[in-house]
Amino acid sequence: MEQLIEELKKEIIEVLNLEGMTPADIDENAPLFGEGLGLDSIDALELIVLMEKNYGIKLQNANEGKEIFKSVKVMAEYINTHRTK
Amino acid sequence: MIFNIGDNIISPIGWTTAENWSAVAAERIGLRSYTHRFGLPEPFFASLLDEEKLDEKFSKLPHNQEEKYTKVEKAAILSATDAVANAGINPADPQVIFVFSTTKGNVELLEDHHGYEPERPYLWRSAQLVARHFGNPNEPVVVSNACISGCAAQVAAARLLHRHGYRYAVVIGADVLSKFIISGFQSFKALSPERCRPFDADRTGLNLGEAAATIVYARNRADIPTGKPCLCLAAGAICNDANHISGPSRTAEGLFTAVSQVLDGFDVANLAFVNAHGTATRYNDDMESVALERARLTDIPVNSLKGYFGHTLGAAGVLEVILSTQELLHHRVLRTVGCENPGTAAAIRVAQQPMETGKTAFLKMISGFGGGNAALLVTVGEPPVVAEKADTAGEPRIFAEASITDTAAVLPDGTRLQATSTDTKQWLSELYNHLDLAYPKFFKMDRLSKAGILAAEMVMRAVGQANEELKSDWGVVCFNRAASLDDDRTYQATIQDPENYFPSPSVFVYTLANIVAGEMAIKYKLRGETSFYVSEHFDKEKLKKAVADVFATTRTRHLLAGWVDYDNGHCNIQLFVFEN
Repeated sequence: MEQLIEELKKEIIEVLNLEGMTPADIDENAPLFGEGLGLDSIDALELIVLMEKNYGIKLQNANEGKEIFKSVKVMAEYINTHRTK
Repeated sequence: MIFNIGDNIISPIGWTTAENWSAVAAERIGLRSYTHRFGLPEPFFASLLDEEKLDEKFSKLPHNQEEKYTKVEKAAILSATDAVANAGINPADPQVIFVFSTTKGNVELLEDHHGYEPERPYLWRSAQLVARHFGNPNEPVVVSNACISGCAAQVAAARLLHRHGYRYAVVIGADVLSKFIISGFQSFKALSPERCRPFDADRTGLNLGEAAATIVYARNRADIPTGKPCLCLAAGAICNDANHISGPSRTAEGLFTAVSQVLDGFDVANLAFVNAHGTATRYNDDMESVALERARLTDIPVNSLKGYFGHTLGAAGVLEVILSTQELLHHRVLRTVGCENPGTAAAIRVAQQPMETGKTAFLKMISGFGGGNAALLVTVGEPPVVAEKADTAGEPRIFAEASITDTAAVLPDGTRLQATSTDTKQWLSELYNHLDLAYPKFFKMDRLSKAGILAAEMVMRAVGQANEELKSDWGVVCFNRAASLDDDRTYQATIQDPENYFPSPSVFVYTLANIVAGEMAIKYKLRGETSFYVSEHFDKEKLKKAVADVFATTRTRHLLAGWVDYDNGHCNIQLFVFEN
């Protein structure tokens, strides 16, 4: 799980263009939206693409992301359970 | 005030205005489910033109056999041919100007150019070909302002007629669908898996549609052909939310202001209905309800035509004004097809059944990506007495200017910075650092918006306005050559390979020319007009005229305005602060 969390942090920084951030700057328990990284609705959609592209997880409804993207740790746990690649 | 003297709609449910009116009056719907269309892996609901019939009808037109036209160009030409004939004008007359509204033009050629020349995806090129088809000698005006384009084009037409000396304006709105457009909206999770339900409590998103629609406007009432009713575009306004590039303001700032401006001095007791944008997305419909509540229009029937045609993008503002005008002429308010159980943030009076009306005016509302909102007031019969805004605009004065190219930037104080990298992305980051800008959103932008924001920061600092204080009398007017083609190519790369098909929403959101103007409005809280025009070449005099038009016809007193182009790795930004 630690490895997946680390991998996920790097992927989030890359796909969301979080310039100047390193994985160490992201608290795996901090909320991704609202506070924390201050991401917005378009970032949430891009995280849905990331899940499909890198882990083969297809979310039909953007609202499902609300629970999954609570934190990097929650996201990693979801991926760990549902990944198809 | 300008006068509709002829119009046409080409849609999946009719080839003339009369056919479309008969279809909607009988509640014939153009929306249906498509599977594997355009090579898309997922099914979608949409309203698509019958391409065979389009080709057949187009082949009967007298036209230059040497020229091969694309689908959107054929639809635009067919639509304008009928409208011009209805109006009884000679489109080749130099007193006629063509105004072309489109969001994506020939963007499908990025996937396969089908033998068309490399310039063909450029919006100005399509507009030129359409105008030339009619033998018109003037450079057509191209409005590309996302979903509000069709209404913005009508605002532009009023200015061209009253301030630029033209007698007639042929306003064409046209867009067709493709893998590019549908995959993008799918990536946004914005499309409904069923027929859309505008203003319904359980609405599930929008449907897209194809259409071309044309209105021929005359400057003078005397030019209305004998026997035709007086159809008047009495007022129009464009205002920005300055909130988010893809999400409407929850307090409906821009739309409320635009509505307030067009209804200023007008007795709303004469309003038969409001024709809303009504896309059936949760946020849009909620936002419109809030605007109506704030404008105290919750007693007026509200309808949306999206349940018949879907969202026809650059055609929507033109098509919906034509059909709403037909509603007035037939003394009938159409119901909002798809809305069974209204439910929006503010309670409004959604027209759930067709109703009779003896009233003579409607309000058109529309909103779109980039934070743009527009409102139009249309009347039939004796035009309203509307106090025209006194034209107090003198020669617009430039208070600051800056430029950025691939190789250098010139700051407002004349300082010249030479690029140390040939990589434009790197160069723009250097400029960001040089300005010591702290704006993390910068790194999420496409290259056009990055360059635009950097130039905007330079000139706004020079005039002491690079802050986040609300600026309700500031706006943005931009021109460019490539629209959003640079970002369009980036997005196309995410869908080109079927084995690696992952449409990117964060790239797609920048595939509209006017987003750069929206980014400027958001960063500096500019809530006046934002307009975007596409033109083959930069012409400073044309820019100054557009600036003077805004100053003369709106409450906007300051404009960030200029040429903001990014294409094939080449950056060309010349941005000014104009004041009245």
